[in-house]
Parts: sequence; structure tokens; C-alpha cells
Amino acid sequence: MSENTITPTGNPELHTCMGLNECKNLGYTKTNDCAGMGDCSTVYHSCHTLNECKGQGGCGLFGTTMEFCFPSENTCRYQGSCGAPILSSRFIVQGPNKGRSVWQLARKRFEDKMTAAKKPFGDSPKDYPYGPTNEFITLLTNSPGDHSSCGQSGSRHCSYAPLSQREAAANDRVQAANEVSKAEMPITISQCPASESES
Amino acid sequence: MDLSKIFPVKEEVTPENFEVVMQSAIALELATIPTYLSTYYSIKRAQVQEELHAQILADLTDQSKLPAGTNLTELVHELTVDVLVHANKSAALVMSVVIEEMLHLSLASNVKQAIIGAPDIMSIAMGLTFPTYLAGHEPEFYINAAPLSPEQLNTFLQIESPKKYEDPKDPTIPGDKGLFEYNTIGGLYNLIIECVNKHYSQDADYVARKGKPQLVPSYGGKPTPYYSQNSVNTVHYDREHNPQFASEDDSGGLKQVTDAKSAVAAMNEIKEQGEGNDDGKPKTLLTFDAAGMPVPMIPDADGKLNFLPGDYDDDSGTELSHFAKFMESYSMGHYYQGKFAKYKEAGLKDFYSYFVYNQAKDPKQADFDAYLESLSADDPNYDQAQALATASRLGNAIYTYIMLMVETCYHVDQQTQFNVFMYGIHKSMIWLLSGVGNKMNMYSYVKDNTTYAGALSFEGYDFGTISPKAQIEALVDLLAEQDPTTWAWTQQEEYKGYWKELPEVSLDHVVTPNVPNVPMPNY
Repeated sequence: MSENTITPTGNPELHTCMGLNECKNLGYTKTNDCAGMGDCSTVYHSCHTLNECKGQGGCGLFGTTMEFCFPSENTCRYQGSCGAPILSSRFIVQGPNKGRSVWQLARKRFEDKMTAAKKPFGDSPKDYPYGPTNEFITLLTNSPGDHSSCGQSGSRHCSYAPLSQREAAANDRVQAANEVSKAEMPITISQCPASESES
Repeated sequence: MDLSKIFPVKEEVTPENFEVVMQSAIALELATIPTYLSTYYSIKRAQVQEELHAQILADLTDQSKLPAGTNLTELVHELTVDVLVHANKSAALVMSVVIEEMLHLSLASNVKQAIIGAPDIMSIAMGLTFPTYLAGHEPEFYINAAPLSPEQLNTFLQIESPKKYEDPKDPTIPGDKGLFEYNTIGGLYNLIIECVNKHYSQDADYVARKGKPQLVPSYGGKPTPYYSQNSVNTVHYDREHNPQFASEDDSGGLKQVTDAKSAVAAMNEIKEQGEGNDDGKPKTLLTFDAAGMPVPMIPDADGKLNFLPGDYDDDSGTELSHFAKFMESYSMGHYYQGKFAKYKEAGLKDFYSYFVYNQAKDPKQADFDAYLESLSADDPNYDQAQALATASRLGNAIYTYIMLMVETCYHVDQQTQFNVFMYGIHKSMIWLLSGVGNKMNMYSYVKDNTTYAGALSFEGYDFGTISPKAQIEALVDLLAEQDPTTWAWTQQEEYKGYWKELPEVSLDHVVTPNVPNVPMPNY
């Protein structure tokens, strides 16, 4: 095993991504101090209807407008949307919020849920304010080889720049897109119903 | 009914022939799905950029033929991105049309279900063979299951043409001509609409079949999760890798047919998505050059094509019709073909060769079987030929099972329909058919002394009297045994949901969900 790999321990709470755990020590490595500070998802599934549990729906690849409004908030096994973990580069592909960050919306939903329940939560890992990067995910033990993010239907590097410039160009583009998504979060929220039961 | 002809209809649409006309309209919508999908799977839409770059560089064997002062590195990068962007966009456009054709299949089926009877989808799927054609359409043309090419896009443009056109090639196709002529598919739907308005205009005409299952946008005021215009497969990227979406949110959706108004609305949606809005605005037309190929649109100085107001599916002018989407792919492909041809003397190959698999037109299971039979068991190609034949059977079985599940949705209650749709059709389209379709090209075979990449043949699979799902599982197991390098994952516990948890659907529409009774989501 590489010195740089990140390994899970014990039986974790099942959630779809970095910063979306509900309890202390229930991130991927179980070393987080508080809810919301976990380092990555404890589940992996690639698509719609293949998740095993409540809260594992992920989002961003296939699904309905409503599913994209509530990433990882499915109430039952097999419900909810696509692939987990949710990378920082994953964007919504259906509905009025097309092109905006999936992870940021999932985090917003998580924060709202915890606030409503009067439960404390911390910041997501500071090095990844918009969710985990592809480079981070590849360090995980048993990491899925294909994270199916912005590259699902094109360059898997999120940029067509020449190789020597590609990673930087991709990171810049994803960063810029995430900053737009952050600024437009009120619009994103306004274009979704307040809850899944509100149609 | 001769199922190799999509339109064995009578002189006009009347109550007496309404059932066969609607069944034929459903057959037309169904036939476009494997036609367009066969082309979709032929496109290499996510190539490794460095490998493509290296291939283009290697092809430029005589760099002395490049224009003086050419920066080779910059040129190769530019050509590489040309291929990547166009391939990905063409694939996204084709997939966006496939998704809307699946919608059209449902809309036409809803109209039939509401007025005359449940759609008979399996008989269409089992009888459809390629090449096929639209009997009664003037001019006539063959429809192939074939890889992306200017010729294939010519066929697509003829299928979706919004206006009558003159095809200089106009082949004479032997056999049934159909019993009335029409010039566009929209024109055919206009005849059906006339019949609905004349003979099925009263609410009483819909009472007898009220409550019969349809694929609908909502139940009890809550939307069903059956239809989404976009997915990651309809996303493409511009040259800066900014995501673009091939479909818009206002492009339409499922419609429950309960009266003449909703029946007409369903058919108008089909027409407008396919051929553009129907309010008399100018449209781009299909015309042909001296070589008998469609005249392409020419990109402007910014590299954009300027479509006309009537080329869009509605007044918002945001989403192109199927015809215009195919015209875009055809025209930009023509532009890039010309650009690449400028470097032909330096060694560059045809533009399409850089992103389209060398697949045969109208492949058949029999082709794969014949190739396998031609090899001895100790031939180095035997194992992959064996896997190709099995993968083809599996692909055909899944394709046919999808059609069986769609038909079943018109015979079962809401909860069962939900289980069949979400855990059967949806999963089968996204993962199972795509999983096989995207892998077929890794196998090759020889036919008529030419080597081709494998491809789905979209032939109806005869399940006989044995459980269709059990047969699919058996084919998966066999494929994993024959080619464990590619398919061993199907046997792993973590992926059991892909196959094991498909609903069990019998040919007489009896359903065993095979998943816990998951309620419809509360939205």
C-alpha cells in the first residue's frame, strides 16, 4: 500500500461525500472532529437506482430535476440519483440549475438539515472548500478507478489544454465554476422546492 | 403485417385503420431508437487526448507538405481538439435525439392506449430488421444501423426533414409501397391528428379506455421520475471545456392522453421536437448537391451555424429540432472534413476516421456466428470471436427486454410500472445496453475479407418460453467465462444490482420486481 493512500476504519455511517457526515469520526477515515468535517464518502456506487441505503443517492450524472435538487437526500434504498462520491467538478446536468455544483448544493442541504435539527457541525476540510478533487479521491484505498465527473462525456481531465498545462487549466476552470456556483446558490435554492415532498 | 416496412397503412387515417396506423407510428418511433443508437455507439466520444494527439502527429508523415511557417505542435493540438469537441458534441446531439425518440415512443403509445388499445411493441421489435425504410414515404430511402458518417447523417436528415424534398438518389425499394404517400413524418402525424379531430373529438370517445396504464408525467399531482431531457450523456464541451447541454428544460415531456386535446398535444410535441415549430417561420431545408449529398450549412466567422427561427422546437429559440441537430453535426463534420483534407498530402486521414469505429453497416448476429465458425478452436482470434458472438446475443437480449418492459408498462398498475421503469428500463438503458454497446467495438471480426469492429445488431431476441431475465443472466455468466478480462466484474458481489435485481418480466407482462417494494419517491 502506498504511503499516500487513505484507508477507512470500522463500519462507517453511510454518506455520499466529504463534508456530508452527520457524526464525529464518521468520515471515510473516521478522524473528523465533528459532523460535516469528514474527508470522503463511505459509499461508492456508480449510478441511479444502484445505491444500497437512504442518503446515498449522490447526484449529477443521471436523474430528474427534483433529484438534482436534493443530492444524497433519498429516503430509501434504490431511490435518489447518481454516483457517489461527489467530486468538486461534478455539475448538475438537468433542470434550471444545470451547470452548477452538485457538492455545494449537497453541502447546503446538509447544513440546513443539521441547523433545523439543532445539531452542531463543522466546516468541510479546509483544503477542499468545494468538495473532493479527483486527485484526492485517487488516494483512497479501494478508490474506484473512474470517478465519472466532468469527464464522463469528454476529456476526463476537465480541460483540452496541452498536457503540460492541463491540470492547472482544469483546476482553474473547476475553481471558477465553483465560485460562480457559490455566488448563485440563492438562485439554485430558489429554483428548487423547499423539500422533496413539495411538488 | 410486414414488419420490415414501417408503414403498411391505408389510403387515409380512419377509425377502421386507426389501430394499424398508430401501431405503425409507434413502429416508426421505435425504429429510430436502434438506428440512432447504432450511430451513437460508433463514436469515440471520450478519447485519451494524448493518444489522439500522437496518432495525428504520426499520420503527418510528410511535414514538408505543410504550409510554410506551420507550428507543428500547435497545429496537432488544434486538430486534436477539433476531433475531441466535434465527436463529443455529435454524440451528445445524437443522444439527445435518442432520448426524445424514447419520449415519442411513449407519447404515440399513450395516444394508442387512450383511443384504441395497448401498444404492441414486442411484435415491432421482433420484426424490425436493418436496413429498413418508411413505406409510403416519398422519396424512398434506406435506413441503416450504421456508424457516424456523412451518409448516415444524410439518412437522419431525410427521416427528420420538416419539408418535402427531392432526393437525387431516390432508390427504388422493392416491395410494399404503403397505401398512401406522405412526404414528412410530421405530415403523417397531421393525418392522424385530422382523424382524431374528426372521429375522436368527444370526451365520450375516451371513456372506454379511461384508466388504462400510460407512461404519464405525474400521479396524483406528484411528478413521476420517468423522463429527463438531459443526462451526462447529452453534455458536451466547448473548446475551453465549458459544459454545454444538448436539450433544454422546456423541450417537452410525457403527456397523459385523456381526450382529443391531449392526444393532439402529444402528437404536436412529436412533430415540433423532430421537425421544428409549426408556425410558418422559415426553416433550413434539405437540398442536395451535384454528388447527391445534402448541402451543408456554412459556419460564420465565429465558427457558428446560423439557424432559422423555424429550426427550433418552440418560440424560445433555445433548442434545435432533431433535423437541425443533425444538420449541425453534418455541416460541422463537412467543415472539418475540408479542414483535414488540406493536410491530406502531409499524411492526415479523413476527419471521421479519427473518432468513428470501423463498424459495418447493418451488422448481424449471423455475421459474428459465421466468423466464429470459420475459426478453429486453437486460432488466436477464437476466444474474442466467441466473446463477440455472446456479447451480441446479450446486447440483443437486453434490447428486446427493454422493449418488453416498455410494453409491460402499458399493462400493469402504477407501483409495478414504477418498479419496471426505474429498476428495469432505466437501469437497462443507462448501464446494461450501454455497457455492452460501448464494449462491442473492442472485438473485431472479418466479413467479406474486411475486418470490422463489433457493434450491436439490434435484432429481436427470441426468449421462447424460458424466463427472459434468466436468459440474460446466463448470457452474462457465459460472457464472463469467455472473456474474464473484460467481464469478470459482472460476477462480483458489489455489482450484483446490475443484473440480479432487474425485475423479472414475462412475455405475458407478469412482473416480479426483485427489489424491496420501494415506494415512488415523494416528489
